[in-house]
Amino acid sequence: MKLQHYLGGLEGLGPVSTETRVFVETWETRIFGIHTAMMALSSQLPLPRTSSTFTTVWTWADLRKGAESLNPFDYFKFRYYEKWLGGISGYFIYNGYITAKELDALTEEYYNDPSKSVPAAGDAAIDDRVVQYLVEGDSPKRDTNVSFDFAVGDFVSIKNVPSIEHTRLPGFLRNKNGTVETVYDGAYVYLCDTGTDGIGAAMPVYCIRFEPEDLWPGNAEKNFSLYADLYAHYLEAPAAASAKQAA
Amino acid sequence: MIDRFQYREDREAYSAARVKALEALLIKKGIITDKTVDTVLDFFETKMGPFNGAKIVARAWVDPSFKDRLVADTPAAIAELNLPEGMAGAEGEHMRAVANSPNVHNLIICTLCSCYPWPVLGLPPYWYKDPTFRSRAAREPRAVLNEFGLPVPEAIEIKVWDSSAQIRWFVVPERPVGTEGMTEAELEALVTPEAMMGVAIAKAA
Repeated sequence: MKLQHYLGGLEGLGPVSTETRVFVETWETRIFGIHTAMMALSSQLPLPRTSSTFTTVWTWADLRKGAESLNPFDYFKFRYYEKWLGGISGYFIYNGYITAKELDALTEEYYNDPSKSVPAAGDAAIDDRVVQYLVEGDSPKRDTNVSFDFAVGDFVSIKNVPSIEHTRLPGFLRNKNGTVETVYDGAYVYLCDTGTDGIGAAMPVYCIRFEPEDLWPGNAEKNFSLYADLYAHYLEAPAAASAKQAA
Repeated sequence: MIDRFQYREDREAYSAARVKALEALLIKKGIITDKTVDTVLDFFETKMGPFNGAKIVARAWVDPSFKDRLVADTPAAIAELNLPEGMAGAEGEHMRAVANSPNVHNLIICTLCSCYPWPVLGLPPYWYKDPTFRSRAAREPRAVLNEFGLPVPEAIEIKVWDSSAQIRWFVVPERPVGTEGMTEAELEALVTPEAMMGVAIAKAA
């Protein structure tokens, strides 16, 4: 397990931040823009090719995998966009787009002269594609026939799948039971195949209602309920879950 | 002693230089242009943002049947409005609205990352991304809301929505009392991103 998969319900954390700004430092806006452009130029999207030399895949899943693969102590050490900066720089270096040496050298130059500007260059079609991505998005819904094992009101058990790099199953829901609130129409993929964790191919997605008293017995507030949208692979019938326990 | 929890003294200046170096290299290598990052940021100032969510909420306040349709089929209801192109775009491909009522208060969270409906809310604020909020809101939403200055009586059910798949959620807060004579445009001005995430309520100015 990774602590960052098990955030929900941790105790002893102190007061929440109520900072309503999106960016607390100007530099954070730049890494956000770079990340969004990478998603827009990512090669799996059915968008017009441009002259951009970006030829690989970059989705939210890549950013999340990077953050979730961090040493948990580093995950909590770095601020949100610091993790982005580290992960995205690492991706460009790992994939051979830039070298660590040239990034370090240029960082030094901008550090010594923050007023020095970035080079002027580029093909407008690249920016057109970025805007087209923002307008059209990247829907995970697929026109595939799938079978629905559960209906609204069904009681379901949540599996504890072996998640290594990345998961969409929050840790605090594992091995718990809930009730189907909504069966979403159609089938959904995820942005990448999560391997042993089990999501990738198109499958149903359900909204599951949980009772906090079941999630945190004796240690939950009264009169609230928690809902989570979960991929079908994470669910099983309670009978299957108890048969596994008995075995 | 390891230095795991030490930061560079020039933490922000260093990150600023590093991200500028990265952007410069990406321009030089033909990955992005010198206008790409500003194009993205401009899109969030003019097309995607909480100004869209505010329009949707204000319409729901003046037209209860629209509010019903919004909760029943969020994309179809949004499509009725004259909103900028891009309202079904990135991070808004599958949105669902949940409405507060005298008996129910809704709160949106993402315990795994920072999933957020860009087209209607723009970009997530720092509090939403903070690991402490993400942890605590799942187990003790009432205590967390108190810290945001929003006491929710125990008689009101709190529904917490954890965005763990592809649905991006937003809250339709209740119309504040004392706004009966206001126009739709005046009502829009009362809707904050915080109210549409459930850590605040809308207030008559």
